Amino acid sequence: MNETLLNVNDLKTYFFIAEGAVKAVDSVHLKIGVGEVLGLVGESGCGKSTMALSIMRLIRHPGKIVGGEIWFEGENLLSKSEGEMRKIRGGKISMIFQNPMSSMNPVFTVGSQIAEAIKLHQDAQKHEVREKVVEILGKVGIPSPSERVKDYPHEYSGGMLQRAMIAMALSCNPKLLIADEPTTNLDVTIQAQILELMRTVRKEFDASILLIGHDFGVISELCDKVAVMYGGKLVEHADLATIFKEAKHPYTQALLESIPRLDVETERLRIIPGSVPQLINPHPGCRFCPRCEYAKEICSKEDPPLIEVGQGHSAACFLYGSIDKPNHQRK
Amino acid sequence: MDSHLPAGPKDKSEVGKPSRATQLFIVWKKLRKSKLSVVGFGIVLFISMAALLAPIIAPYDPEWTGRARRPPSMEHVFGTDGRGRDMLSLVMYGARVSIFIGLATVAIELILGVAIGMIAGYFGGMIDEILMRITDVVLTLPTMMMLIVAISMFSVRGVHVIILVMGLLGWPFLARVVRSEFLSIRETTFVEAARSMGATSWRIIMRHILPNILSSVIVIATMDIPWYIFYEATLTFLGFGDPQSASWGVLLQLGYPKMQHSWWIITFPGLALLFTSLGFNLFGDGLRNALDVKVRE
Repeated sequence: MNETLLNVNDLKTYFFIAEGAVKAVDSVHLKIGVGEVLGLVGESGCGKSTMALSIMRLIRHPGKIVGGEIWFEGENLLSKSEGEMRKIRGGKISMIFQNPMSSMNPVFTVGSQIAEAIKLHQDAQKHEVREKVVEILGKVGIPSPSERVKDYPHEYSGGMLQRAMIAMALSCNPKLLIADEPTTNLDVTIQAQILELMRTVRKEFDASILLIGHDFGVISELCDKVAVMYGGKLVEHADLATIFKEAKHPYTQALLESIPRLDVETERLRIIPGSVPQLINPHPGCRFCPRCEYAKEICSKEDPPLIEVGQGHSAACFLYGSIDKPNHQRK
Repeated sequence: MDSHLPAGPKDKSEVGKPSRATQLFIVWKKLRKSKLSVVGFGIVLFISMAALLAPIIAPYDPEWTGRARRPPSMEHVFGTDGRGRDMLSLVMYGARVSIFIGLATVAIELILGVAIGMIAGYFGGMIDEILMRITDVVLTLPTMMMLIVAISMFSVRGVHVIILVMGLLGWPFLARVVRSEFLSIRETTFVEAARSMGATSWRIIMRHILPNILSSVIVIATMDIPWYIFYEATLTFLGFGDPQSASWGVLLQLGYPKMQHSWWIITFPGLALLFTSLGFNLFGDGLRNALDVKVRE
């Protein structure tokens, strides 16, 4: 395989509020290779976005990264100074957000905001910057870019703004693009266009992408690998095909069964009973245990480690591995 | 007549995107929608011109003296005061002093209010707590009494002292507004996005948040100008002003004892104050709508 670009090792990000510590990201390991697209899936509140912001070191009070390492191009981002981080943000790692309509400053033109991003990271003459902005807007599919650079964000549609955001994120040729649910607030046709654009971006800019989402449909369009998060923990990590064919973790299985499919006849879609766990002082066992239909005694007492269950496939569940193997049977 | 013609094809220069000059034009177009704010703008413009051009257009020198206490006539439109000076010229020269007082005080208020509000709102936490408690303390001080006490402490009676003291006492309201706007805007996605592109705090404050709240700041500043003119006039009227200056307050104070037989001496400076206040307030109200990007024409 190709070399590793980003290696998140045992990352812990907690939010300290009056009721206690919210363990939004708890001992998560993640790896993204050069040119690879990793999908990070999970339901709302499982720590996906916190994960993204932790990588950018943009966690703000009362949140704090309390442990772990984030290796990016051989350097630990957690030991960098704020000034060094600013150079990396937008330069080597950049991010696009889920609500394009509010991701741009309403009082400046789209062009000037992209120009600002370029000027922050590159020494360039004024006219060079202008040309670059027009060029990159054209690349992301904005029609007549030399006219539209002068438009204000409210004169763009949602899909166009997301394109412009992607243009801004790519303006300094980042190595890693973090896309936090980039298609969530867009309608389906625009979603498809944005995904198509992300695919071209991947080829043309040769960037690795961390795609965050809760929609397996979107994830399956784009990703090479998938990581599934639940309750602040990574529960499964495998190739896209492996996840769809032989998901091991009960949560991943349940999640996949809850997606409508054309090729399988079902009366009703699967629902996962219960709700997302409280992350304030969670119980010591597996986070999914209260909702899991295979739950064993050990599941509520010990935290299952992430173990190898196949070629490049790991899952955190006591159903597998050497530790006290429970019987794989439905109740 | 021309205005009744149907709009022809637009000039080709109109096709392009708005430049800075045409943006000002858009603000003006929006302002024009409300009759009252146009009236306000007219009054502000009129009084500012009268003040600026006083040395050229005033009929008499303010030091010129003729017969005292003449009622309004063709020769002296506003009459003459107790010392025989021309009231119209005095009111025009008084506008220079009074409007200068208003603008200078607002400048001090802006510097303090915006700086304190934005630091408190952006950084939050302990800094916010300390700055806001100071703001609360200043806000609870009874302004008029504090002004009188503070001005009495200085041995020099000058307009500059009054401006300084009013400015030092006037910022808390603006600071609170700026803080609350910063609190809400710093949470928006575009600020997060700017941070994710590697922008510094300073850059986020100055380029991303401040321009977004400029309309509220401009409106408050516009509406505060007549307040300070009023405060100065009141102070002067009560005898705490600078008798050497010729502000409207001084004119009022001089005219007050003669009110019973020479009504014009106090009436015209009083009306000037009234209209200035009215003008700035109507104009400020119109600006509130006109500067809002989200309100379409």
